[in-house]
Amino acid sequence: MGCSSSLPDRNSGRLSGLNSENSGATDAKNLRVKLVLLGDSGVGKSCIVLRFVRGQFDPTSKVTIGASFLSQTIALQDSTTVKFEIWDTAGQERYAALAPLYYRGASVAVVVYDITSPESFQKAQYWVKELQKHGSPDMVMALVGNKADLLENREVSDQDGMEYAEKNRMFFIETSAKTADNINQLFEEIAKRLPRPASS
Amino acid sequence: MTEKKAFHLLQVLEPRRDAYGFALRPQHVQRYREYSNIYKEEEEERSDKWRVFLEQQSESGNLPSLEEEKKEKQPTEVSEQKSNTSPKSVGEGDDTSVEPTTDSSAEGNFEKEVESTKELKARKVQKWANIRPVLGAIENMMSFRVKKIKKMEDERQTLRDGQLPPVEETGPSGGTSEDDNEEEIIVDKVSNGSGKSSTEEVISTKEAPPKSFFSWKEELECLVRGGLPKDLRGELWQAFVGVRTRRMERYYQDLLALEGDSGGGELVDEPSGASKKWRKQIEKDIPRTFPGHPALDEHGRNSLRRLLLAYARHNPSVGYCQAMNFFAGLLLLLMPEENAFWTLVGIIEEYFEGYFTEEMIESQVDQLVFEELMRERFPKLVNHLDYLGVQVAWISGPWFLSIFINMIPWESVLRVWDVILFEGNRVMLFRTALALMELYGPAIVTTKDAGDAITLLQSLAGSTFDSSQLVLTACMGFLAVTEARLQELQEKHRPAVLEVIEERTRKGRVFKDSKGLASKLYSFKHDPEPLIEEKLHKAESEDTPVDADRSHSSNLEEFLAGDDSEVDSVPDLQEQVVWLKVELCTLLEEKRSAVLRAEELETALMELVKQDNRLQLSARVEQLEREVAELRQALADKREQEAQMIQVLMRVEQEQKLTEDARISAEHDLAAQKYAVHVLQEKYEKAMASLGQMEKRVVMAESMLEATLQYESGQNKALSSPRAAVARNQGSSQETPPKRLSILSRPFGLGWRDRNKGKPDEPGSGHSSPLPKETSGQEPEH
Ligand SMILES: Nc1nc2c(ncn2[C@@H]2O[C@H](COP(=O)(O)OP(=O)(O)O)[C@@H](O)[C@H]2O)c(=O)[nH]1
Ligand SMILES: [Mg+2]
Repeated sequence: MGCSSSLPDRNSGRLSGLNSENSGATDAKNLRVKLVLLGDSGVGKSCIVLRFVRGQFDPTSKVTIGASFLSQTIALQDSTTVKFEIWDTAGQERYAALAPLYYRGASVAVVVYDITSPESFQKAQYWVKELQKHGSPDMVMALVGNKADLLENREVSDQDGMEYAEKNRMFFIETSAKTADNINQLFEEIAKRLPRPASS
Repeated sequence: MTEKKAFHLLQVLEPRRDAYGFALRPQHVQRYREYSNIYKEEEEERSDKWRVFLEQQSESGNLPSLEEEKKEKQPTEVSEQKSNTSPKSVGEGDDTSVEPTTDSSAEGNFEKEVESTKELKARKVQKWANIRPVLGAIENMMSFRVKKIKKMEDERQTLRDGQLPPVEETGPSGGTSEDDNEEEIIVDKVSNGSGKSSTEEVISTKEAPPKSFFSWKEELECLVRGGLPKDLRGELWQAFVGVRTRRMERYYQDLLALEGDSGGGELVDEPSGASKKWRKQIEKDIPRTFPGHPALDEHGRNSLRRLLLAYARHNPSVGYCQAMNFFAGLLLLLMPEENAFWTLVGIIEEYFEGYFTEEMIESQVDQLVFEELMRERFPKLVNHLDYLGVQVAWISGPWFLSIFINMIPWESVLRVWDVILFEGNRVMLFRTALALMELYGPAIVTTKDAGDAITLLQSLAGSTFDSSQLVLTACMGFLAVTEARLQELQEKHRPAVLEVIEERTRKGRVFKDSKGLASKLYSFKHDPEPLIEEKLHKAESEDTPVDADRSHSSNLEEFLAGDDSEVDSVPDLQEQVVWLKVELCTLLEEKRSAVLRAEELETALMELVKQDNRLQLSARVEQLEREVAELRQALADKREQEAQMIQVLMRVEQEQKLTEDARISAEHDLAAQKYAVHVLQEKYEKAMASLGQMEKRVVMAESMLEATLQYESGQNKALSSPRAAVARNQGSSQETPPKRLSILSRPFGLGWRDRNKGKPDEPGSGHSSPLPKETSGQEPEH
């Protein structure tokens, strides 16, 4: 989306300077990353975050208005820690106008679709293109097929998801916020793929 | 009902929901419990105040008093008396007094509504209830805002081509229909008296003289800031929004009927595609609207669904936008469905015009405005946020879009809504956001990373239970934030937002220029040029129906203001003007892009300078760090030296101690030796003394011996032949001197014993012969 021209430029100028500090975080052992979740409304973005951060699944979560923020720190096996600063965005199409505000300067983007909804898969592809155009070029991107517990209603094959992700050099995983399947793996895999600042 | 009771019991013991039935976050339960008493007290206080105020009103004006009002319950329009009574009976406060702790009037209200809903046939569910007449004065005062807009809306209705055919027929004129004369009485009077002219006139004819009117309004404002009583809130909100003036008879029912038709088939083709999309989104969001709220059971949800679908159909330029589900849900808790619909209409189309449309232009503009206000009011805080890389809009965006629902505690949400709806604009929205920043800014400034700052602000805002403090801070602390000032800032920032949208569409579309110009013209709408706009929009209305619609309405304003008939009559000139305008716009655009480019370059330059500075700074920091390290090293060295010195010192000290010891022992020895010497000297003196005595004795003995010898010789002379004896004595006397010597030298050898023994012998020694004694020492021979 339009993240050029005067208004975002003013901000992105300011941000890009800080972003290098932000994503690099404090040191090589303790990373801090800004992560943004994008995808159609109702695919389960908020549920994924809540599952990851609070370990809960609330089948009646609230509609996200604008965006909401949560953070969570994980420890990796190599004894580094990664603090995820997660922006969960609103899914409805028109809120896309506000999305650049949140994905600008993010070093990770997680694009989510619902495996029971081909429409949401289309939406995911739209987001990927959008990020390729306007996101930061070294952004780590993940494609997530959520609601993997609803196998009997599957309408997007994991093959399709995987192929699309591969083509766009994204990390692909199918998750279920409901059963917690692959939720932690998703974030751990992202953490592994983060560019590490050279330890000085 | 029993379930409800059980729920209430549970609530009292372990509240998971607040008095309005909204979920409480577990971390807030305690604080909520603390505040619920304060809320209760405040509620009682404001109930009294409002009662007094309204009583005064009914005394002074021609309005029915409270007592009268009780009697004259007005007939419902949708046939059922019962459905109409719900807000009123709640209004009398018996509900709240029965269950003051947990059950709110809002809940009770909803409950009743649902009950009555059950009794009605599904088709007749969409009921309407007038607000109590005692609030009529307020309603009338507020309605002037509405009138103007409504007039425009009406005209738009007639202009618009056939999206809502059945409504349009009855549309503007249907404002007063025959079957509810009574409820429209006041409006009728007004329209008769003033002939539907200006609102000022309406008020002056209707109300008391202006002088008292202003004081009256001030008093009302004060009361509103203090909060609305629960049992009046729903009706007062409607009065503030001017629902009755907005309402068109049967409009809501027709919308719903239409919905039913299009849901079944292909009666209306174009909008049904859109409404299908909305329907889907609404369907997704209904279970996610206040999940678990006791009032949002199946009936409540149906009500919510109908309301949202009707709205989407009513205003396709907005359709359905997430956040409206919460607004509608909230309104349904406070008023009947159709009333909620008209209130929502007022909020979305007037208070938040352009906010929830497809492009969400005004909400983006407001974020820029808010950021500017923040920089102005809280430069330190914004600097800190800048430093952390946090953008104000990240946090304030959701606040504005949700009008604080789910962002701050419910009591505070309602208090803020009270003021917003009363004031009729978004000033309170800004003021509240600023107040939150003022309250929590000092805490935010202490945070050290972006995540912490945002988390902290979110959670602090979420625990703003002191709603009176919030409203007071907002209303009193930011008096400079006025509607005029906001408008000015909005004008200033709107072009930037439009620019972005334009750019986006330019990238995505083939006919980029027309679209670009469209929004350009929109932003320069002070040039009256309705027709050009129209044409441009017509040209691209196929691919941007919403935007076209938007400008259509702005177009209307100009249409109303200016006169297009003249232009119509001169088509050639008109075309020339169009051409010129287009030209002008191109130039303007060029100019703007040049300006933009300059700005870009400037920012880039700034960036470079900053980076440069940064490099220098980091170099400086490195150097300083090195220096510090060096100093540290030096310090460490010094420390080591010191330690060594100390060790040496200690060793010296030890040695000193040793020598001291040695000295002391030497001294001791010396003392001992001295003592020994002393003793020896004593001995020596004693010995000398005894020697002296001995000598005396010797002298005595010698004298005695001489005496004896003289005596003997005298004897011998006297006696005969003493020769032998004399010879012997001579001989011995010759030997005596050496003997005496030997005796003198003897004491050293024979020591103490002899002397001691000698003493007792002394008296007798003169008698005994000293020779045998001294030579042999054998006394027994004596
Ligand atoms: N079966 C299933 N349902 C899910 C899952 N994740 C989310 N949901 C449901 O999808 C709905 C929408 O989820 P939400 O997180 O609000 O979607 P968002 O709009 O992307 O944030 C929720 O009400 C959940 O009930 C999942 O993994 N499995
Ligand atoms: Mg969400």
